[in-house]
Amino acid sequence: MLEARHRVLESLASAGVDDLPPMSDAFHGSRAIPTAGPSCPPGGPPGSFDECFGGSGIPRSNWSSLLDALGRHGSTELTARRDEGLRIIREHGITYNVYGDPKGCDRPWELDLVPIPIAAAEWRVLEAGLVQRSRLLNLILRDIYSGTQRLLLDGFLPPELIYPNPGFLRPCRGIPVAGQVHLHLSAVDLVRSPSGAWVAFADRTSSPSGVGYALENRTVLSRILPEELGEVSVRRLHPFFNTERAMLESLAPRGVSNPGVVLLTPGPLNATYFEHAYLARHLGIPLVEGADLTVRNERVFLKTLEGLQSVDVILRRVEDGFCDPLELRAESVLGIPGLVQAARSGNVTVANALGSGLIESPAFLAFLRPICRHLLSEEPLLPSVTTWWCGVATDLRHVLENLESLVIKPAFGRRRGQIWFGHLLNAAEKSRLRDLLVAKPREFIAQECMNPSSAPVWTPGGFERRSILLRTFVATDGASYAVMPGGLTRVSASVDDPLVSMQRGAGSKDTWVLRSEEDPDEPGHRSPLQTSVDRRLLGLPSRAADSLFWLGRYTERLEQRLRILRCVLGQIADQTADASVRQTDAVALLVQGLGILPSDPPSDAGDMDLSDRLLEVIYATEGPGSIPDLMGRIRQNASAVRDRFSGDTWRILGRLAPGSTVQPSRQSIAHALGMIQDLILNLAAFNGLEMENMTRGPGWRFLDAGRRLERGTAIVGLVTAASFVPVQEDAILGLVLEIADSVMTHRRRYFSSARWPDVLEILIREGSNPRALAFQLAAMRNHLDALESELRVGVDDRWSVLIEGIQSRIAAADFDSIIPLGEGCSPDGLVGLMETCSQGLAGLSDDLTHRYFSHTLPRIS
Amino acid sequence: MRQLLYDIVHTTDYDYRGAVSVSHHFLRLEPRETSRQRCIAHEFRILPEPSVLSPHGDYFGNRAHFVAVERPHCSLSIISRSRVAVSPAFLPDISETPAWESVRSRCRVDRTRATLEALEYSHASPLVPTSPVFSDYSAPSFTASRPIIDALSDLMTRILADFRFDPTATTVSTPLEEFFKTKRGVCQDFAHFLIACLRSIGLPARYVSGYLETDPPPGMPKLRGVDASHAWVSLYCPGIGWIDADPTNNCFPSLRHISIGWGRDYADISPVRGVLIGGTDQVLKVSVDVTAVGSVSQSLLG
Repeated sequence: MLEARHRVLESLASAGVDDLPPMSDAFHGSRAIPTAGPSCPPGGPPGSFDECFGGSGIPRSNWSSLLDALGRHGSTELTARRDEGLRIIREHGITYNVYGDPKGCDRPWELDLVPIPIAAAEWRVLEAGLVQRSRLLNLILRDIYSGTQRLLLDGFLPPELIYPNPGFLRPCRGIPVAGQVHLHLSAVDLVRSPSGAWVAFADRTSSPSGVGYALENRTVLSRILPEELGEVSVRRLHPFFNTERAMLESLAPRGVSNPGVVLLTPGPLNATYFEHAYLARHLGIPLVEGADLTVRNERVFLKTLEGLQSVDVILRRVEDGFCDPLELRAESVLGIPGLVQAARSGNVTVANALGSGLIESPAFLAFLRPICRHLLSEEPLLPSVTTWWCGVATDLRHVLENLESLVIKPAFGRRRGQIWFGHLLNAAEKSRLRDLLVAKPREFIAQECMNPSSAPVWTPGGFERRSILLRTFVATDGASYAVMPGGLTRVSASVDDPLVSMQRGAGSKDTWVLRSEEDPDEPGHRSPLQTSVDRRLLGLPSRAADSLFWLGRYTERLEQRLRILRCVLGQIADQTADASVRQTDAVALLVQGLGILPSDPPSDAGDMDLSDRLLEVIYATEGPGSIPDLMGRIRQNASAVRDRFSGDTWRILGRLAPGSTVQPSRQSIAHALGMIQDLILNLAAFNGLEMENMTRGPGWRFLDAGRRLERGTAIVGLVTAASFVPVQEDAILGLVLEIADSVMTHRRRYFSSARWPDVLEILIREGSNPRALAFQLAAMRNHLDALESELRVGVDDRWSVLIEGIQSRIAAADFDSIIPLGEGCSPDGLVGLMETCSQGLAGLSDDLTHRYFSHTLPRIS
Repeated sequence: MRQLLYDIVHTTDYDYRGAVSVSHHFLRLEPRETSRQRCIAHEFRILPEPSVLSPHGDYFGNRAHFVAVERPHCSLSIISRSRVAVSPAFLPDISETPAWESVRSRCRVDRTRATLEALEYSHASPLVPTSPVFSDYSAPSFTASRPIIDALSDLMTRILADFRFDPTATTVSTPLEEFFKTKRGVCQDFAHFLIACLRSIGLPARYVSGYLETDPPPGMPKLRGVDASHAWVSLYCPGIGWIDADPTNNCFPSLRHISIGWGRDYADISPVRGVLIGGTDQVLKVSVDVTAVGSVSQSLLG
């Protein structure tokens, strides 16, 4: 029942994420010209800018040293490096979730071998434009949310662009904004026009994604192109993150000197969850979900095992509308009730400020130029793609007359909306679109259709050309600005896909901003080290402890199950030559008793023999308790605490994820045994890494307590099942010892063949056998006592009563008299004892859950 | 000028099944000041004692209170008591009001702060869609160049004839299209429907939450919607201001209507909205009592 509840909580916590906008953008691409061979030939599609080659076919200067460096490698070497990159991506578990695709969860990230180099001088121009844009957008948000809305009164923005806009969050008007910084981190999507100028076509202002992927791209490329990275002299990305973190802290509410900072994520089903966990780890701040936070006395707190700890700054990756079910979208289960009130009271900084997603509406692009002149008295340094908002009558007329050359998009659509390419529509479609535009003009914009620039990508077949878009990032604390020297370059999915969208499977490239003499090694305006000296550490969120506990349980459950299957399949394989019917029956009965096979076999199972049914359990993708099902649960719980694992541990966990094992063309016992062997070794590696690497804090204790509880339960189950198998005791006990990994222990202590009293001594009462029940009980006792003192929670003797209850029962048991001796004997005494143990263990699990993890979800009244 | 004084007691009682560990509520129960209404006194009695009761003006200028109860509780009782002085409404000579089309076009070009504020109420909102269904219904009343209040009055008369007041027909979550189909509902539905009709032809209209006098003065009929909080509509007319209209009772509110506040629709101004953590189910009981306690001349109120 608790497991069921656990699942419900998980599914609730991740519900609603489909409404979050993906990091997807549509853009008109162009048919690229595939080329073969290791050298990269010039010549992009007509009307587009060739990133790599100038007009006369000579490489551009920013590419020359990169091309020289790559040119030293032959095709085979380049492909080998590309494959190495793919392997690292898989190992690092870099993923991007795709909505609405059951197989789309945790899709491996796509990264091309060839980076995009950008010359230092060109970058300086771009940087100035990006900083100006960030200042401008912030001023617009300030006028609308904190100011007098002069831009509306003076006619710079039409009210119809703001008031019906779902991104305009009325409760957020008038909320104090720390440092008047609405946009702490903003992103701009750029396309290079055929003339070679960078043009902005979208702004990401709510909770822009991509910084983490950009950093990870660099990490991967520095592994596969280490010499090139040095030779070309590329600016580093790390300083940007130090600066961002320091800026984030300086945005804490007034008077807070050592702020508690968290990263708020919608949860593991979100498209960019990988990045949330990665960033949290990189910035050194806890990754939390809405349910981890609570508002008390108009302040935000993190629910940790140590109790409530105050949170001063929230770096949010939850869309602003979903952040507070009380004042914003009531149906959101991702938010924190009362968060808006806490912000209104000036007790918490939310970055980006709630409501800042408003300005993502592409319709704003049509108005930025005059606003820039008006508010900043400057000419815009970074042009936007020409945009018409159909809510303006003259614009609508232009759009209706020039449909052929335009792209039509939803005006307020921060979510995935339909996009129309004028030149791809037939007459009927055009007429339908015109009707739509006339009926609801305000809801649409049109943009000039522009061919993006093209650049080479390396494929196993050689270089190919793809369209590229660049996402850049600017962070600020109001006083200064930091532009990430690089960015996330996205590449169209295939040569003829006009859409560049991560949701549609497009790839990415690292972006290399070339260093010049003038560039400092690090942006020098702030020393990140000074601010990191005495950072306040926040405790372990209760939900994370819950996930660690279940991770411990499920990894152990998987291991137990694999041991049983390995032993039983081994027996079956062994007996084919010299079939002992009795032995096979014993195996079948044991397997049945352990609940490995469904208790009521499927109707078509009549002629399936035992081995086929066991293979089903191993390979079947569904069904509770099947191997893939357990692997899925492991992934689910591990994902929820992803920020807590080192890279190595995460890599091992990746090998325990569904789909990590190869599906054979034909299922066989031999293949299954090989796979089981691998999985058992991976589990051993996970246990070893965790034993050696995890700090012995509460997190580790919950993980290990979960494992101990599960192992104890498994031993009890195994003994109970074996006691019902009516065969010679040495036959069944041989299996039991093997499954319980205690053959060696038995052999060392007893020289005879296996007898029930000896086996029970080893598996139940022997305190020094790490596979024995007594060992698990002692370990759990140790953890629970330690948790009480480490977490300074009140002492509760309920679990000591439970543990001591089991311990005294097994201490007092007379194994010689309660055991079944051979066929026909009643197992009552033993079964009674085992039932007591089993109930005690279940009670412990419930108690732990109620005491530490109960985090109820809010509901609307 | 003569003013009427009212004492209002608005009680909201929740009974929860299973203890609620923390509850956060937004209350919009304190009557706001308007051009013809003054709230002389207001107090809350909330049980259990909240750990936070924090007042602030909301986006629409209403008086909102944030309330948090941060210990386990099985019930929540909110009593809001107000004393309000109400002056008669000014209703312009109907035939003198501007042609309705001129109101629409002035709203489009005018960039005064008052008009800008009115534009906030011109678009579809969460509970009030705009569509040809509603503009078609308005059309017979809003004939060419008709004075706007004359047209509005005609529209309300038609609504009264076409729709039935029926407290059992709808809930707070019934979509407006459903009300239009079944032709039955409560004051909230009537108000939303009139707003949809007005916005769909380009006129700014807002949703007013408030109260009606419970017992009618001698010789006057008891109005519909007295047992709970009431709702009506306000229409913007540049140069004149906001004109209240009660489609449920087909009248122009004056001395017997007391406003709490307004928004684009019910969702902006619902008297009590909350999020509970813990608990499984709840039973809600609401009662409203509005008593006339006499009349005063405005000067006495100082």
